[in-house]
Amino acid sequence: MSETALALPVAAPARRGWRVGEWGWAIGLPVGFTLVLLALWQAAADLSGIPTVLLPSPLAVLRRAAEVWPELLDNARYTGLEAVLSFLIASLLGVAVAAALSASERLREALYPNLVLFQLIPKIALAPLFVLWLGIGSASRLTFAVFVSFFPVAIATLAGLASADGNALRLCRSLNARGWQTFLAVRVPYSLPFLFSGLKVAATMAFIGVVVGEFISARAGLGYYILFASSRADTPGILAAIGMLCLLGLALYGLIALGEQAARRWWRGG
Amino acid sequence: MSGASLATGTTPGTAIAANAAMRERRQALWRAARRVLLPVLTAALALAAWEWGARASGVSAMVLVPPSAVWSVLANSWPILLEHTLVTLREVTAGFLLAAGGGIALGTLLTASTRIRQTIQPLVVFFQLIPKIALAPLFIVWLGVGPSSRLAFVLFIAFFPVAVSTAAGLMSAERNALLLCRSLTATGWQTFHSVRFPYAVPHIFAGLKICATVAMIGQVVGEFVTAQQGLGYIVMFASAAAETALVFAAVTLLCGLGLLLYGVVAVAEWLVLRWFGAPISSSQF
Repeated sequence: MSETALALPVAAPARRGWRVGEWGWAIGLPVGFTLVLLALWQAAADLSGIPTVLLPSPLAVLRRAAEVWPELLDNARYTGLEAVLSFLIASLLGVAVAAALSASERLREALYPNLVLFQLIPKIALAPLFVLWLGIGSASRLTFAVFVSFFPVAIATLAGLASADGNALRLCRSLNARGWQTFLAVRVPYSLPFLFSGLKVAATMAFIGVVVGEFISARAGLGYYILFASSRADTPGILAAIGMLCLLGLALYGLIALGEQAARRWWRGG
Repeated sequence: MSGASLATGTTPGTAIAANAAMRERRQALWRAARRVLLPVLTAALALAAWEWGARASGVSAMVLVPPSAVWSVLANSWPILLEHTLVTLREVTAGFLLAAGGGIALGTLLTASTRIRQTIQPLVVFFQLIPKIALAPLFIVWLGVGPSSRLAFVLFIAFFPVAVSTAAGLMSAERNALLLCRSLTATGWQTFHSVRFPYAVPHIFAGLKICATVAMIGQVVGEFVTAQQGLGYIVMFASAAAETALVFAAVTLLCGLGLLLYGVVAVAEWLVLRWFGAPISSSQF
């Protein structure tokens, strides 16, 4: 704990000459640590004699990924498309509902607690019902993923729209701004950080929704591939598919982070 | 209200002030009642519409089951449902507690030194972002279909939110408060105990609330894929048999469990915040 923990946040900015070195540490340490972990994993898999089914080495996973690459890519396309589509639908719906609720106090009082309730319950448990209602096609997975990822966006955006600075709102009123002018010029900029944190949660939830849907019903997609590989005890295949899934998830997350930067710059400029 | 101080002693003035106070109190009461009644009424209305729709539309009970049918399943087969509820509750509580303890410990470790944080934090954030749910089948390969694989899975997916928010909370301490500690030559432990930790409490509880919901998700998905016992197993089994009323009964119980876990965390937060007091605002320095 102690001296370093206390001293660093206070003292670090003073030492200008260390800047480049600091960046080196900030990038070198995590990369090095990850490499060390991977090397340990590889060594453990090679030397311990644990069968590949239980502990495949990272290289074995890479080899397997190369072997089944076309198949992986094909399945990743399904999962990625469905996750992105459901993310987009859930974001639009979430923002629309939040805007409607922020416009009317009665509506907000009536619906907001119910929204929070839905946010809290384990909605994942409803996955089999969507299969029952909508069949085992894309429609049921899309609907389920939208259902799972909609609530974080709606609640975060609503919290953001309500977070606008009181002084700014009063200024708008004294300048006779119209409702929509206040909304665009004050409420929306204030809500952006909340909106984007909601979108980031929604991106993860969309992937979770699609993958759980694929566990239950699919005939294609990475979730299906994972289940199929686990029934063949093809652990390297499972890990390869999971790696693919992580790449997709991180790509969507990265896009959202870029969107956040762009949106903030735009609103600050305009 | 301000009339009360001006008109003390004169009877009509007091009466007016009392009237105003009463009106104000009535309005406050009505506002509070509205805040409770409106959402409850909305939910009741939705349930009634669902009941009426399920009956009037003539869609088979397999697809659209009315709430009353769900209620009768709950009432009729509660012994067996209770048994599975207890299994799920026990497992998810164990997973939640382990994840909470481990997460707070790792979060604290992350803030112990800048080098440690730089080393581990990117990995923790990476694990926070990836869809960990996809690893569920792997836990079966490793640990079989028993409770230990579900426990490990719940721990694995519920652990990261707590670690990330604990670290963020411990880093959020007011700079002036830290400077004050330094000029008072407080030891590291004293600074941690009386400044860093109190500032981190709201963050830690925000992480614990996420942890509670995510632990429920992990438990349910674990029960989906291992299919041995528990409410997730009932959901899976009943939906395969197209017993939609039973699915809804089990989902209702799962929602109850989820809310219970969340409620316990919320109550604990209230108690701890009262114990430590709210973080000191910067204006007091």
